[in-house]
Amino acid sequence: MSQGLTLPRNTTQQAEKPLHGNIARWLHRITGMVIVLFVLVHVVAQTILHVPAFAAVKADMPWLPTVQSQHWVHALLYFSIVFHTLYGLKLLASETGIRMGYRASLWSNVALSALVGLREVLRYAGI
Amino acid sequence: MTVEKIAVTAEIQRFDPACDKAPRFETFQVTGLANMRVLDVIRSIYENQAGDLAYQFACRIGRCGTCAVRVNGVSVLACQERCKPHMRIQPLKPFPVLRDLVVDRTEIEGRLEQLKLAPLRTTEHPSMPEPIAPKLAEELCHMDSCLLCMVCVSACPAVEERPFDGPAFMLKLRHMAKHPQDTRNRLDQAVEHGMLECFNCDVCTQVCPADLSPAQAIREFRKELMFGGKRPLQGRPG
Repeated sequence: MSQGLTLPRNTTQQAEKPLHGNIARWLHRITGMVIVLFVLVHVVAQTILHVPAFAAVKADMPWLPTVQSQHWVHALLYFSIVFHTLYGLKLLASETGIRMGYRASLWSNVALSALVGLREVLRYAGI
Repeated sequence: MTVEKIAVTAEIQRFDPACDKAPRFETFQVTGLANMRVLDVIRSIYENQAGDLAYQFACRIGRCGTCAVRVNGVSVLACQERCKPHMRIQPLKPFPVLRDLVVDRTEIEGRLEQLKLAPLRTTEHPSMPEPIAPKLAEELCHMDSCLLCMVCVSACPAVEERPFDGPAFMLKLRHMAKHPQDTRNRLDQAVEHGMLECFNCDVCTQVCPADLSPAQAIREFRKELMFGGKRPLQGRPG
Protein backbone atom coordinates (compact mmCIF):
# COMPACT_ATOMS: atom_id res chain seq x y z
CA MET A 1 0.00 0.00 0.00
CA SER A 2 1.13 3.52 -0.70
CA GLN A 3 2.73 5.26 2.28
CA GLY A 4 0.30 8.16 1.98
CA LEU A 5 -2.78 5.93 2.11
CA THR A 6 -2.88 4.34 5.54
CA LEU A 7 -6.42 5.13 6.68
CA PRO A 8 -8.03 3.85 8.81
CA ARG A 9 -5.25 3.33 11.31
CA ASN A 10 -5.18 0.13 13.30
CA THR A 11 -5.93 -0.01 16.98
CA THR A 12 -2.78 0.47 18.97
CA GLN A 13 -1.72 -1.53 22.01
CA GLN A 14 1.32 0.55 22.87
CA ALA A 15 0.83 0.53 26.62
CA GLU A 16 1.18 -3.27 26.69
CA LYS A 17 4.46 -3.43 24.81
CA PRO A 18 7.94 -2.67 26.09
CA LEU A 19 9.57 0.41 24.60
CA HIS A 20 12.48 -1.23 22.79
CA GLY A 21 14.42 2.02 22.49
CA ASN A 22 14.33 2.53 26.24
CA ILE A 23 15.48 -1.05 26.89
CA ALA A 24 18.39 -0.61 24.47
CA ARG A 25 19.32 2.79 25.89
CA TRP A 26 19.38 1.53 29.49
CA LEU A 27 21.22 -1.67 28.55
CA HIS A 28 23.83 0.46 26.80
CA ARG A 29 24.29 2.59 29.92
CA ILE A 30 24.32 -0.38 32.32
CA THR A 31 26.79 -2.41 30.21
CA GLY A 32 29.03 0.66 30.00
CA MET A 33 28.97 0.94 33.79
CA VAL A 34 29.70 -2.80 34.16
CA ILE A 35 32.79 -2.43 31.93
CA VAL A 36 34.09 0.62 33.84
CA LEU A 37 33.40 -1.06 37.19
CA PHE A 38 35.16 -4.26 36.11
CA VAL A 39 38.23 -2.35 34.91
CA LEU A 40 38.44 -0.44 38.20
CA VAL A 41 38.05 -3.56 40.36
CA HIS A 42 40.45 -5.48 38.10
CA VAL A 43 43.17 -2.80 38.38
CA VAL A 44 42.84 -2.68 42.18
CA ALA A 45 42.79 -6.51 42.49
CA GLN A 46 45.81 -6.98 40.22
CA THR A 47 47.71 -4.32 42.16
CA ILE A 48 47.04 -6.08 45.45
CA LEU A 49 47.90 -9.48 43.98
CA HIS A 50 51.14 -8.55 42.22
CA VAL A 51 52.70 -5.46 43.85
CA PRO A 52 55.04 -6.53 46.70
CA ALA A 53 54.18 -3.41 48.71
CA PHE A 54 50.63 -4.78 49.10
CA ALA A 55 51.69 -8.23 50.31
CA ALA A 56 50.14 -7.65 53.74
CA VAL A 57 46.80 -6.66 52.18
CA LYS A 58 46.99 -9.72 49.92
CA ALA A 59 47.50 -11.97 52.95
CA ASP A 60 44.32 -10.55 54.51
CA MET A 61 42.33 -11.30 51.34
CA PRO A 62 42.76 -14.97 50.50
CA TRP A 63 39.46 -14.91 48.56
CA LEU A 64 40.70 -12.27 46.10
CA PRO A 65 42.11 -14.62 43.39
CA THR A 66 38.80 -16.57 43.41
CA VAL A 67 36.80 -13.40 42.72
CA GLN A 68 38.93 -12.89 39.61
CA SER A 69 37.99 -16.27 38.17
CA GLN A 70 34.22 -16.45 38.63
CA HIS A 71 32.50 -17.70 35.47
CA TRP A 72 29.49 -15.40 35.91
CA VAL A 73 31.73 -12.32 36.25
CA HIS A 74 33.41 -13.10 32.94
CA ALA A 75 30.10 -14.00 31.29
CA LEU A 76 28.63 -10.66 32.41
CA LEU A 77 31.74 -8.79 31.31
CA TYR A 78 31.82 -10.39 27.86
CA PHE A 79 28.07 -9.80 27.43
CA SER A 80 28.59 -6.15 28.39
CA ILE A 81 31.57 -5.62 26.08
CA VAL A 82 29.83 -7.16 23.06
CA PHE A 83 26.49 -5.41 23.65
CA HIS A 84 28.11 -2.04 24.33
CA THR A 85 30.27 -2.34 21.20
CA LEU A 86 27.46 -3.47 18.92
CA TYR A 87 25.00 -0.83 20.14
CA GLY A 88 27.72 1.83 19.89
CA LEU A 89 28.41 0.76 16.30
CA LYS A 90 24.67 0.88 15.59
CA LEU A 91 24.56 4.46 16.89
CA LEU A 92 27.56 5.38 14.75
CA ALA A 93 25.93 3.82 11.70
CA SER A 94 22.75 5.77 12.45
CA GLU A 95 24.73 9.00 12.31
CA THR A 96 25.39 8.25 8.66
CA GLY A 97 21.67 8.00 7.95
CA ILE A 98 21.50 4.18 7.94
CA ARG A 99 18.16 2.94 9.18
CA MET A 100 18.03 -0.20 11.30
CA GLY A 101 14.91 -1.74 12.79
CA TYR A 102 14.87 -0.89 16.49
CA ARG A 103 13.35 -4.22 17.49
CA ALA A 104 15.56 -6.41 15.30
CA SER A 105 18.76 -4.55 16.20
CA LEU A 106 18.06 -4.72 19.94
CA TRP A 107 17.23 -8.41 20.09
CA SER A 108 19.97 -9.46 17.67
CA ASN A 109 22.50 -7.51 19.77
CA VAL A 110 21.20 -9.14 22.95
CA ALA A 111 21.31 -12.61 21.35
CA LEU A 112 24.86 -12.16 20.03
CA SER A 113 26.08 -10.80 23.36
CA ALA A 114 24.37 -13.61 25.27
CA LEU A 115 26.05 -16.17 22.99
CA VAL A 116 29.46 -14.73 23.78
CA GLY A 117 28.61 -14.66 27.50
CA LEU A 118 27.39 -18.26 27.32
CA ARG A 119 30.63 -19.27 25.62
CA GLU A 120 32.50 -18.06 28.73
CA VAL A 121 30.29 -20.16 31.00
CA LEU A 122 30.90 -23.20 28.78
CA ARG A 123 34.65 -22.48 28.71
CA TYR A 124 34.75 -22.53 32.50
CA ALA A 125 32.79 -25.80 32.43
CA GLY A 126 35.45 -27.24 30.11
CA ILE A 127 33.07 -27.66 27.16
CA MET B 1 -22.51 -13.04 17.79
CA THR B 2 -21.45 -12.49 21.40
CA VAL B 3 -19.06 -9.69 22.16
CA GLU B 4 -16.70 -10.09 25.08
CA LYS B 5 -17.03 -7.69 28.00
CA ILE B 6 -14.32 -6.16 30.12
CA ALA B 7 -14.25 -4.61 33.59
CA VAL B 8 -11.81 -1.74 33.63
CA THR B 9 -10.26 -0.13 36.68
CA ALA B 10 -9.06 3.30 35.63
CA GLU B 11 -6.98 5.54 37.85
CA ILE B 12 -7.20 9.03 36.46
CA GLN B 13 -4.92 11.86 37.46
CA ARG B 14 -7.01 14.76 38.71
CA PHE B 15 -5.61 18.23 39.15
CA ASP B 16 -7.24 21.60 39.28
CA PRO B 17 -4.69 24.35 39.87
CA ALA B 18 -7.47 26.53 41.31
CA CYS B 19 -8.06 24.24 44.30
CA ASP B 20 -5.49 21.39 44.33
CA LYS B 21 -1.97 21.74 45.65
CA ALA B 22 -0.73 18.57 43.91
CA PRO B 23 -2.12 16.04 41.44
CA ARG B 24 -4.04 13.09 42.92
CA PHE B 25 -5.45 9.88 41.47
CA GLU B 26 -9.13 8.93 41.48
CA THR B 27 -10.17 5.36 40.75
CA PHE B 28 -13.19 4.50 38.59
CA GLN B 29 -14.74 1.21 37.49
CA VAL B 30 -16.13 0.90 33.97
CA THR B 31 -17.68 -2.16 32.34
CA GLY B 32 -18.06 -2.33 28.59
CA LEU B 33 -17.08 -4.11 25.41
CA ALA B 34 -13.61 -5.64 25.37
CA ASN B 35 -12.67 -3.69 22.25
CA MET B 36 -13.30 -0.31 23.93
CA ARG B 37 -10.63 2.34 23.44
CA VAL B 38 -9.15 4.36 26.28
CA LEU B 39 -11.22 7.35 25.10
CA ASP B 40 -14.44 5.31 25.46
CA VAL B 41 -13.50 4.61 29.08
CA ILE B 42 -12.75 8.30 29.75
CA ARG B 43 -16.01 9.38 28.12
CA SER B 44 -17.99 6.82 30.10
CA ILE B 45 -16.42 8.10 33.33
CA TYR B 46 -17.21 11.69 32.33
CA GLU B 47 -20.82 10.87 31.43
CA ASN B 48 -21.65 8.57 34.37
CA GLN B 49 -19.28 9.13 37.25
CA ALA B 50 -17.29 12.36 37.10
CA GLY B 51 -18.98 15.18 35.22
CA ASP B 52 -16.21 17.57 36.19
CA LEU B 53 -13.46 15.54 34.52
CA ALA B 54 -11.53 17.67 32.01
CA TYR B 55 -10.29 15.90 28.88
CA GLN B 56 -10.01 16.64 25.18
CA PHE B 57 -10.97 14.87 21.98
CA ALA B 58 -12.27 15.78 18.56
CA CYS B 59 -12.19 13.26 15.71
CA ARG B 60 -12.14 9.87 17.53
CA ILE B 61 -10.40 8.24 14.53
CA GLY B 62 -6.77 9.09 15.22
CA ARG B 63 -6.58 12.06 12.87
CA CYS B 64 -6.58 15.12 15.12
CA GLY B 65 -4.20 14.14 17.93
CA THR B 66 -6.03 16.09 20.64
CA CYS B 67 -6.83 13.10 22.87
CA ALA B 68 -3.20 12.13 23.56
CA VAL B 69 -2.64 10.93 27.15
CA ARG B 70 -0.29 8.63 29.01
CA VAL B 71 -1.61 5.16 29.82
CA ASN B 72 0.45 3.16 32.32
CA GLY B 73 3.35 5.53 31.61
CA VAL B 74 3.26 5.17 27.82
CA SER B 75 2.10 8.08 25.64
CA VAL B 76 -0.76 7.07 23.34
CA LEU B 77 -3.73 8.45 21.43
CA ALA B 78 -6.70 7.67 23.69
CA CYS B 79 -9.03 7.12 20.72
CA GLN B 80 -6.72 4.48 19.20
CA GLU B 81 -5.35 2.67 22.22
CA ARG B 82 -7.28 -0.41 23.28
CA CYS B 83 -8.33 -0.36 26.94
CA LYS B 84 -6.75 -2.63 29.52
CA PRO B 85 -8.17 -4.09 32.75
CA HIS B 86 -5.99 -1.77 34.84
CA MET B 87 -5.08 1.65 33.54
CA ARG B 88 -3.37 4.63 35.07
CA ILE B 89 -4.28 7.58 32.88
CA GLN B 90 -2.23 10.76 33.11
CA PRO B 91 -1.81 13.90 31.01
CA LEU B 92 1.12 14.16 28.60
CA LYS B 93 4.42 15.19 30.12
CA PRO B 94 6.36 17.52 30.20
CA PHE B 95 3.65 20.02 29.36
CA PRO B 96 1.97 22.15 32.04
CA VAL B 97 -1.42 20.77 33.07
CA LEU B 98 -4.41 23.10 32.71
CA ARG B 99 -6.81 20.67 34.41
CA ASP B 100 -7.01 16.88 34.79
CA LEU B 101 -6.00 15.44 31.39
CA VAL B 102 -5.79 18.73 29.49
CA VAL B 103 -2.34 20.19 28.87
CA ASP B 104 -1.37 23.71 27.90
CA ARG B 105 -0.25 23.75 24.25
CA THR B 106 0.79 27.42 24.21
CA GLU B 107 4.50 26.57 24.24
CA ILE B 108 4.05 24.03 21.44
CA GLU B 109 2.26 26.57 19.26
CA GLY B 110 4.97 29.12 20.06
CA ARG B 111 7.74 26.75 18.99
CA LEU B 112 5.93 25.85 15.79
CA GLU B 113 5.54 29.53 14.98
CA GLN B 114 9.23 30.07 15.71
CA LEU B 115 10.20 27.34 13.22
CA LYS B 116 8.37 29.14 10.36
CA LEU B 117 7.01 25.94 8.85
CA ALA B 118 6.03 27.31 5.45
CA PRO B 119 8.25 27.11 2.37
CA LEU B 120 10.38 30.22 1.92
CA ARG B 121 10.40 30.82 -1.84
CA THR B 122 12.96 32.78 -3.81
CA THR B 123 10.69 33.15 -6.83
CA GLU B 124 7.10 34.23 -7.05
CA HIS B 125 4.51 31.45 -7.10
CA PRO B 126 3.56 30.75 -10.74
CA SER B 127 -0.16 30.69 -9.79
CA MET B 128 -0.49 27.15 -11.05
CA PRO B 129 0.46 23.76 -9.63
CA GLU B 130 4.19 23.15 -9.87
CA PRO B 131 5.48 19.76 -11.08
CA ILE B 132 6.91 17.49 -8.41
CA ALA B 133 8.40 14.00 -8.61
CA PRO B 134 5.69 11.50 -7.60
CA LYS B 135 7.98 9.68 -5.15
CA LEU B 136 8.92 12.94 -3.42
CA ALA B 137 5.27 14.01 -3.38
CA GLU B 138 4.34 10.74 -1.70
CA GLU B 139 7.13 11.14 0.85
CA LEU B 140 6.10 14.73 1.64
CA CYS B 141 2.48 13.68 1.91
CA HIS B 142 3.41 10.91 4.34
CA MET B 143 5.52 13.27 6.48
CA ASP B 144 2.71 15.81 6.42
CA SER B 145 0.45 13.28 8.12
CA CYS B 146 2.10 14.12 11.46
CA LEU B 147 -0.76 14.98 13.81
CA LEU B 148 1.36 17.09 16.18
CA CYS B 149 -0.23 15.04 18.94
CA MET B 150 3.03 15.33 20.93
CA VAL B 151 2.97 11.62 21.79
CA CYS B 152 6.58 11.34 20.56
CA VAL B 153 7.70 14.45 22.46
CA SER B 154 6.11 13.12 25.62
CA ALA B 155 7.76 9.69 25.24
CA CYS B 156 11.19 11.04 24.21
CA PRO B 157 13.84 10.45 26.91
CA ALA B 158 16.10 13.15 25.42
CA VAL B 159 13.40 15.81 25.89
CA GLU B 160 13.33 14.87 29.56
CA GLU B 161 17.10 14.97 30.06
CA ARG B 162 18.49 17.46 27.55
CA PRO B 163 17.74 20.80 25.84
CA PHE B 164 15.88 19.19 22.92
CA ASP B 165 12.60 20.48 21.48
CA GLY B 166 11.45 17.00 20.54
CA PRO B 167 11.03 14.58 17.64
CA ALA B 168 7.82 16.11 16.22
CA PHE B 169 9.52 19.44 15.60
CA MET B 170 12.47 17.72 13.90
CA LEU B 171 10.08 15.81 11.65
CA LYS B 172 8.33 19.04 10.68
CA LEU B 173 11.71 20.65 9.92
CA ARG B 174 12.75 17.64 7.81
CA HIS B 175 9.46 17.88 5.95
CA MET B 176 10.31 21.47 5.07
CA ALA B 177 13.95 20.57 4.26
CA LYS B 178 12.67 18.08 1.68
CA HIS B 179 10.22 20.55 0.17
CA PRO B 180 11.54 21.51 -3.28
CA GLN B 181 10.44 25.16 -2.97
CA ASP B 182 11.81 25.82 0.52
CA THR B 183 15.07 27.74 0.69
CA ARG B 184 15.43 28.23 4.43
CA ASN B 185 18.36 26.45 6.12
CA ARG B 186 16.41 23.83 8.04
CA LEU B 187 19.54 21.98 9.16
CA ASP B 188 20.74 25.00 11.14
CA GLN B 189 17.27 25.35 12.65
CA ALA B 190 17.27 21.67 13.65
CA VAL B 191 20.69 22.02 15.32
CA GLU B 192 19.52 25.18 17.12
CA HIS B 193 16.50 23.32 18.46
CA GLY B 194 18.57 20.46 19.92
CA MET B 195 18.71 17.90 17.10
CA LEU B 196 22.17 16.71 18.23
CA GLU B 197 20.80 15.85 21.68
CA CYS B 198 18.69 12.97 20.32
CA PHE B 199 19.66 9.54 21.76
CA ASN B 200 18.71 7.76 18.54
CA CYS B 201 16.66 5.27 20.54
CA ASP B 202 13.68 5.20 18.14
CA VAL B 203 11.09 5.39 20.94
CA CYS B 204 9.40 8.14 18.90
CA THR B 205 9.12 5.76 15.93
CA GLN B 206 7.57 3.06 18.08
CA VAL B 207 4.94 5.29 19.70
CA CYS B 208 3.99 7.42 16.67
CA PRO B 209 0.28 6.84 16.00
CA ALA B 210 0.75 7.99 12.39
CA ASP B 211 3.46 5.38 11.68
CA LEU B 212 6.05 8.08 11.01
CA SER B 213 9.70 7.96 12.00
CA PRO B 214 10.92 11.25 13.48
CA ALA B 215 14.13 9.38 14.41
CA GLN B 216 14.81 8.75 10.72
CA ALA B 217 14.24 12.46 10.01
CA ILE B 218 16.89 13.22 12.64
CA ARG B 219 19.26 10.61 11.15
CA GLU B 220 18.87 12.24 7.73
CA PHE B 221 19.64 15.66 9.23
CA ARG B 222 22.74 14.22 10.94
CA LYS B 223 23.87 12.60 7.70
CA GLU B 224 23.43 15.96 5.98
CA LEU B 225 25.46 17.59 8.75
CA MET B 226 28.32 15.08 8.37
CA PHE B 227 28.44 14.60 4.61
CA GLY B 228 26.58 17.62 3.25
CA GLY B 229 23.09 17.69 1.81
CA LYS B 230 21.83 16.96 -1.69
CA ARG B 231 20.96 20.59 -2.27
CA PRO B 232 23.57 23.36 -2.07
CA LEU B 233 23.10 25.56 1.00
CA GLN B 234 24.45 28.74 -0.67
CA GLY B 235 21.87 31.44 -1.04
CA ARG B 236 19.63 29.92 1.60
CA PRO B 237 18.71 32.46 4.21
CA GLY B 238 19.16 31.22 7.81
